[in-house]
Amino acid sequence: MSEKPEIQYPPLPPLSKWLPVLVVAWLFPGGGHFYLKRTYRGLILSGCILVSFAIGLMMRGYMFQPAGGDLLTTVIYYGGFLANLATGLPFFMTKWFGYESADVAGHIVDYGTKFLVAAGLFNILAMVDAWEIAVGRKD
Amino acid sequence: MKMAFTHFETTLFLALFASAVLGVVTKKTDRERLMYGLTSFGYFLATVFGLGWLMYLGHR
Repeated sequence: MSEKPEIQYPPLPPLSKWLPVLVVAWLFPGGGHFYLKRTYRGLILSGCILVSFAIGLMMRGYMFQPAGGDLLTTVIYYGGFLANLATGLPFFMTKWFGYESADVAGHIVDYGTKFLVAAGLFNILAMVDAWEIAVGRKD
Repeated sequence: MKMAFTHFETTLFLALFASAVLGVVTKKTDRERLMYGLTSFGYFLATVFGLGWLMYLGHR
């Protein structure tokens, strides 16, 4: 069996170099890429995340609140909350301006909830990508 | 303002956004990103149609 070659990453730069990128990337979807002058990639990420989020809101998707109980409930509600939180500023603005909807039964609302969660997960991918560019592991 | 998509439209939009984001964050050159995005969108569509037919035939 052949061994996989070990990837040599450059040493991690100081916190001041990548933390602002991570914070901007979290608060404004695609913002980390704009900050690092990757405009086109930032535009694509920003567009996909914000449109997903807007569709989720307009389909009256539910924003998860952390809730415990059995294992499945805990995973779904805490996981959903973290994914919603990962959207950054759009999440907080929705809360501040009272645009969040109640958790009601129905397939349209359910799809909306999935779009809101998906937007948060997309933003986590964008944050990781921006961080990798900031620390020099990626171009 | 309220929006209501069909099941198919919803899946299509989600597949489109997921493919675009995955393409942008996983590959190194623009060409690779485009090809990866198109390929994964194609796989999403194939899965949607495949499972759709499977459910249709399974319920006959």
